[in-house]
Amino acid sequence: MPDTSSGQRVRLLWPLLAAPGMVWMALLFVTPLYVVLAIVFGQIDPVFRSPLPAWLPWEWDFTQFNFVIDHVFGADGYFGPALVRTAVYVVVASSMCVLIAYPVAYYTARCAGRYKALILTLLIAPFWISYMMRMLAWVNLLQDDGLATRAISALTLFPSGFGQLNGQASTVVLGLVYGYVPYMILPLFAGLDRIPAATLEAARDLGASRLEAFRRVTLPLSRPAIVAGVLLTCLPMLGDYFTNDLLSGSPRTTTAGNLINNSATTAGQTGQAGAFVLIVLLVALVPMLLFVRTTRDPSAVRS
Amino acid sequence: MTRRGSGHRVLAAATVLYLLWSLLPVLVAVLFSFNDSRSRTSWSGFSMRWYYGDLERSVWFDDSLQTALIHTLRLGVIATLITVPLGVALALGLDRWRGRLPAGANITVLLAFVLPETLLAVALLFMVTTLVTPLQLGLSGQVAGLVTFQLSYPVILVRARLLTIGEQYEEAAIDLGASPVAAVRRVLLPMLGPAILASTVLVFADVIDNFVIVRYLSGDAATEPTSVKIYNSARAAPTPALNALASLMLAASLLAVLAGYALYRFLTRGERADSRGLGAFTGEV
Amino acid sequence: MAAQRRLWTRRQLLVRAAVSGAAVSGVSALGGCSTRTPSSATGSTPTKLRIASPDNPVTWPIPGDNPPIEDGLAPERGATLRLYNYADYLAPAVMKAFEELYDVDISLSTFNNADEALAKVRSATIPFDVYFPSYDQIGKLVSAGLLQPLNHSYIPHISDAWPVFTDPWYDGEWRYTVPYAIYTTGIGWRADLVDVDVGGYENPYDVFWDDRYAGDLAVIDDFHTAMGMVLLRNGITDLNTADPDQLEIVRADLLDLTEQTRPKVTITMYNDLPGGQYGLTQMWSGDAVNAQYYLGGGARKEDLRFWFPEDGKGMVDNDLMVVLNSARNPVLAHLFLDYVLEAKNSIANFSWTGYQPPQRSIDPERLVGQGYVPPNLRSAVVREEYFTSGYRLLELPPEVDTAWHQVWQEFKAGA
Repeated sequence: MPDTSSGQRVRLLWPLLAAPGMVWMALLFVTPLYVVLAIVFGQIDPVFRSPLPAWLPWEWDFTQFNFVIDHVFGADGYFGPALVRTAVYVVVASSMCVLIAYPVAYYTARCAGRYKALILTLLIAPFWISYMMRMLAWVNLLQDDGLATRAISALTLFPSGFGQLNGQASTVVLGLVYGYVPYMILPLFAGLDRIPAATLEAARDLGASRLEAFRRVTLPLSRPAIVAGVLLTCLPMLGDYFTNDLLSGSPRTTTAGNLINNSATTAGQTGQAGAFVLIVLLVALVPMLLFVRTTRDPSAVRS
Repeated sequence: MTRRGSGHRVLAAATVLYLLWSLLPVLVAVLFSFNDSRSRTSWSGFSMRWYYGDLERSVWFDDSLQTALIHTLRLGVIATLITVPLGVALALGLDRWRGRLPAGANITVLLAFVLPETLLAVALLFMVTTLVTPLQLGLSGQVAGLVTFQLSYPVILVRARLLTIGEQYEEAAIDLGASPVAAVRRVLLPMLGPAILASTVLVFADVIDNFVIVRYLSGDAATEPTSVKIYNSARAAPTPALNALASLMLAASLLAVLAGYALYRFLTRGERADSRGLGAFTGEV
Repeated sequence: MAAQRRLWTRRQLLVRAAVSGAAVSGVSALGGCSTRTPSSATGSTPTKLRIASPDNPVTWPIPGDNPPIEDGLAPERGATLRLYNYADYLAPAVMKAFEELYDVDISLSTFNNADEALAKVRSATIPFDVYFPSYDQIGKLVSAGLLQPLNHSYIPHISDAWPVFTDPWYDGEWRYTVPYAIYTTGIGWRADLVDVDVGGYENPYDVFWDDRYAGDLAVIDDFHTAMGMVLLRNGITDLNTADPDQLEIVRADLLDLTEQTRPKVTITMYNDLPGGQYGLTQMWSGDAVNAQYYLGGGARKEDLRFWFPEDGKGMVDNDLMVVLNSARNPVLAHLFLDYVLEAKNSIANFSWTGYQPPQRSIDPERLVGQGYVPPNLRSAVVREEYFTSGYRLLELPPEVDTAWHQVWQEFKAGA
């Protein structure tokens, strides 16, 4: 290091600090994604049907990828329904999440008064309860002799429920909502909490009714938070396969995550699994980049 | 905004209903872990048999459940010990280093934060099974996957804290004669203490509940943590011992978070109230 | 000031060059440091798979570089024996007794379906000692050098099993395998939940396409078993067919199934049927017998029913135990195989799992009388004649396997 001024040394300190983390990400985040490409565009051993990755881009063979694409969009497209179904479930579940989360977040942020800290604690609690445990809890309740089924049979005409664990889309969607709504509530809370009371008072002083003040002040100001919440909720849903496995078990509710999971460990279908991973990644890329953009915006970070 | 009205009551009711819907199933599951019979749905009386009573299937006596618990805690500790220092260093470096490379790295970190976990898990599985690396299916693969998945968490928390701290304290230290490394070590890091603590606790709590990555990268039963055990057993023939196992994990998580939060409050005892709350601690707010 | 206007500083250029150089060399290096493709024990990758069948028995070679262990070795001390099996398919009491006998630990890892298991075994990175496949994987396992040839001197209790298993068609001279459980695949149901007389149907397999039971039934999550049933429904008895027309019939029927009766696809019938999750299911005979131990919510074992063709013309198979080459405890593995084959342990295992072992000491006609099998499940008993009249699920050649899996994938994608 020729220049020994402290300015130069400071400039080297930061790259040195960041280097280990960056090397880690390069090796264990970027490389695996490249391996996926190499497998998708690689070959399959004819006898054992294990994947033979093609590492160099000029050796890439698009047969496996084309197979998947043909079966998504083509006349024979049997992957298409599963992908469409995933989109539908995610959109419905995310919308339900917003509808549930907004009132709760609004109340906690603006009206809770002295209970605010307590309610916030209870809202954050699901993050420390294993997702599996929360789903297991629901499977217990929804089983044939579970408490929820008994409640349903007592309140409705269905003596043993409506087969809620046997391939019902509604159960899966509700399961997704249950699992991911906490991810929506907290960003919404943060956004609503940041709106200064003075702004709303000003709106009221200028003659707006409560509903108008909400519609024309609160809602637009909370829009970035809604966007962030929706992104944080719908992105994990795209890769979810276990909710469907636990709450359904029928091919009727197969989602993209199941397509990936089923083919990832089946001999001869690893290339297809990789192709599904790429498809989901491409679909998720837009929301992911959107999230990155809204997060890097400094005004979104400062309060 | 102190005016009350029917609107507020409706919202309050909605919030209460939501909290019940959110937490009651878990409380019921915990309750049934104390069930006297094999059923997870019909209450027969209070008993601790699934914790230590039943000689074959209770958590205390069933080796497979214990193995799962121990492996979960092992994963939690190792993954956290790697993730936090790596993440804090990365956060410091990325925050101060200008240029396209760190900007690209920053975007990669944020992308890793929101990437659907299944994609990363499958990609890592492919890498571990087709490349000859020091990583194997099992502990090494799982730790590698967990660190990669969680790395963005401390980065985000620490960078948020760095924004509020600003650069003036370091500059003052350097002006007073400290070397840049000493300035970081003796001025900046202590100020980042709360954020580092929060990262540690939250990464730990997240890792012990992780499912997708650890399942894809698991080897044999000895490397299956409790989340995978619950998943496998829930689809087969579960007993309340499963509820007991999940309840123990819940207790572990809560303890870690509570202890961490208490320490956090202690470390931030001079600061403004809104930066010391639970929301700031978890970085969600 | 001029330096600031340059697009790239020297440092940036160097860093950029370093990064792209690293990337290119990294990519080429990946080619060098792959891969874990399996090769046969002889070191060369075979290009064709030998398929064994009752008409075409196979005796697998024992390559020079894969010899069996020597005679008279002592069991490994203080070891952990690693088993890889379906869940709830081996009695805990049997495992515990073995642990105490040899002062070792047993670690049982489980898989959900045969495909998943094969993938893990093939990766050969996990040192399982004993694996429980069926013979539809034997060709691949042997050719990939994944199995250890057995040293018969450690397994005298093979004589407790049916003599046919000392020279089965899938493993001449029982060089690599011992038998585990025998089973048939039929239809199980709960008489109190579903009012059906499966045996009374002209084509009993049609019951799965009957709207009356929509949403209340399940099929087995195994591609070969489920698709085999569809073939039988259509009167096709070659359950390993390569005929694309026949596969097309299976495909159409499976898609019909999803649409009309929406079955669950699972392997936990032994728990779900007595638990009331559904009322009618494709079922392995052992699961039917096992169901009596998983009754829940007021179900009674008298309500369980099982149907299998009277003339034995249905799916009949047996599972195996093999010792993997990755085994760290080969002696213990052999001793474990012997332990499970021993009559009294085999019967103890049977009374917990419900799966009948091919033991000479078991008289199928007396199983009901002895209380192992409830009378209403009489048809779940596996008779020796079934092995002559029944149909087997054999190993499929790679292209046929691909075609079958493609149909199964389409079914599971829920189109």
